[in-house]
Amino acid sequence: MKVIGIATLCAVVAAPVAARDVTIAGWGGNYQDAQREAYFKPFAAKSGLNFTETTYLGGLAEIKAMVDTNNVSWDFLIMGGSELQLACDEGLLEPLDWDAIGGKDDLLPGAAIDCGVGNVVIGNGFAYNSEVFPTPPQDWKDFFDRDTFPGKRGVNNTPQFNLEYALMADGVPPDQIYEVLATPEGVDRAFAQWDKIKDLLQYWESGAQPVEWLASNNVALSTAYNGRIIMAKREGKPLEFVWKNHVVNMDGWAMVKGSPYKDHLTEFMQTVNDPENQAKFSSLMPYGPSNTLAASHLSPEIVAGLPAGDNITEAAFMSDAFWIDHLDELRERWSRWSTQ
Amino acid sequence: MHASPRRPGGARLAALVLLVLPLAIYSFLYLMPIGSMVALSVDNGELGRSLIAFRDADPADADARAAALLADLQAMDAGTQGATARGLNQNLAGFRSLFLNTARKSGEIEPTMAGLVAFDPRWAEEQYWQVMDRNTAPFTLRHFGQATGLVLDDNGRLTAGGDDIYVQIMWRTLMIAVQVTLVTLLISYPLAYAVANARPRFAGFVLVAVLMSFWTSILVRTTAWVILLQTSGLVNAFLLWTGAIAEPLQLIFNRFGAIVSMTHVLLPFAIIPMMNVMRTIPKSQADASRSLGAGPIETFLRVYFPQTIRGVAVAAGTVFILALGFYITPSLTGGPRDQMVSFYIAAFVKESLNWGMASALSVLLLGAVLVIVAIYGAARWAMARPGGRA
Repeated sequence: MKVIGIATLCAVVAAPVAARDVTIAGWGGNYQDAQREAYFKPFAAKSGLNFTETTYLGGLAEIKAMVDTNNVSWDFLIMGGSELQLACDEGLLEPLDWDAIGGKDDLLPGAAIDCGVGNVVIGNGFAYNSEVFPTPPQDWKDFFDRDTFPGKRGVNNTPQFNLEYALMADGVPPDQIYEVLATPEGVDRAFAQWDKIKDLLQYWESGAQPVEWLASNNVALSTAYNGRIIMAKREGKPLEFVWKNHVVNMDGWAMVKGSPYKDHLTEFMQTVNDPENQAKFSSLMPYGPSNTLAASHLSPEIVAGLPAGDNITEAAFMSDAFWIDHLDELRERWSRWSTQ
Repeated sequence: MHASPRRPGGARLAALVLLVLPLAIYSFLYLMPIGSMVALSVDNGELGRSLIAFRDADPADADARAAALLADLQAMDAGTQGATARGLNQNLAGFRSLFLNTARKSGEIEPTMAGLVAFDPRWAEEQYWQVMDRNTAPFTLRHFGQATGLVLDDNGRLTAGGDDIYVQIMWRTLMIAVQVTLVTLLISYPLAYAVANARPRFAGFVLVAVLMSFWTSILVRTTAWVILLQTSGLVNAFLLWTGAIAEPLQLIFNRFGAIVSMTHVLLPFAIIPMMNVMRTIPKSQADASRSLGAGPIETFLRVYFPQTIRGVAVAAGTVFILALGFYITPSLTGGPRDQMVSFYIAAFVKESLNWGMASALSVLLLGAVLVIVAIYGAARWAMARPGGRA
């Protein structure tokens, strides 16, 4: 009797899944609005499919649960680069057929991987309120300088990026940070920098908080994504992003393994790789394109707010490989440090 | 078992089954997740199941071990390789890439120790082999070891040598729950008294105010406190305006903010049980006490308060147990030093995919609750005994 009950329940739960629309999961907000215009609508028009959207908040737990229980309710999703690689290693994503997709050589190095494609280039740096600091902070040394730039600092509560920032403040050149960070002494060096301003830190969880806090003078300086700050600036808020030594990483698109829309995988990936679609996204949301041909479709004013061109001459490039190996260990150390 | 003289007939049996069935389903649905949580906390995952040939290889013969490892790698599918690599990396950072790189090329590597070391010199380091040796069993205590800071030494004895960060966090969780419970009781007792004893219109107003907040989403209530208490928030603006303070106070993202917002969320759970108990106490008792010569304070302490203890105990228990499991509210209004154990459980589930560690912490939290409930039960039993106080 119970078995029948459970079976009926499963049937009821499973029934709508078979007939559902293509489901695309993104980070929400302006970011997803821009992707809807640049990618989802062209994809829907081309494929003749209807799509629905949902929000993905990072981590692999949801995807793993879907794949393990064979109840795949998302089809496409955008993930951070190292999580995408991790999910790929865990067998949670559909492999791509690059021969069918094509155009691999037009993409930035590292964008085309086995089960996903890097799509959104993000600048991770810090920002300030230009009304508070008429003499602006220049680089990471200034971020860690509590005397010249007094006040609280907003930072994301994770070792990722933060340890890189600290090493650059300590004088490590951007192209050597991961060599240094791979040694125990290098990690100690990074934490020693953070010790200097530990009492000033206020931790943010979502990318909207730095903008809010800086605009209301809740914090003096804050680490931030370039896109959020440039958007706020366009809306007239007196915020500036510091481009020197920012850390560039890529978000990428992937398909959850076992999706019923597997036949449309290649078509979707072509849509998001298309240079004109990418230029449209970058003009709506100030993150960089992964297709090198997209720049020619963008105006210089737009490019000035992107992690591209002159803005990345002194940038560091995040190493997904380093973080895949060291995230567990360093996250534990970071939370032990931040919690004591 | 012998047949009872009056065997239940068809209709009676059906009624009996219908009555018991919901209980059985409920117990099943309640106990099963707890059982699987306990199982996960000692499960070594794919790591304990996938190194089959390696487990049986002669530990003294390095080449045989290398060959067995490569044979195991070739037998695994990509998902198993990934899950095994995750388990190894939880033991030793960097093992993931070593393991997966080797797995991808496992068909081409010469199946000897020299072949492995030629592929990646890290295989010459003893630490990688030690981690695999320790993890060939399907069950492991490493999650509990990491959670409690206790490590198994070479003689198999538990010693306190590890990192006790999660013990500190567990202790902090208990402390925050105690603090929140005390503050909640102090605020809700007079409110419950007002609802139970004031004139109906005022009582109704207080009750509606309490229920309104009860029916509002926990996220909305928490965010409201963020807006009120932040540096440029209403409370600071008001205090600056009155001149009571010269600099804005840090009222949020610290212990104060966490306790204020948690208390607000939990108030209805304390007010409602206390109010119900207070409503059963006849008002005439106070009059009787006063007419016998007791003052208002003595009347309250000797006549009224002892009768409300039952409600206070229910309220305190409910609030305390709920507070122990809080996650979203302190994560939005507390600082990193105010995060409770649920925050770390969620991080292990969502971010590291380390469900073993999440389960071990959950089991410890559940254990703490059971111990507290047992102490509470023992205390009640002692008090209810003849010769006890109440």
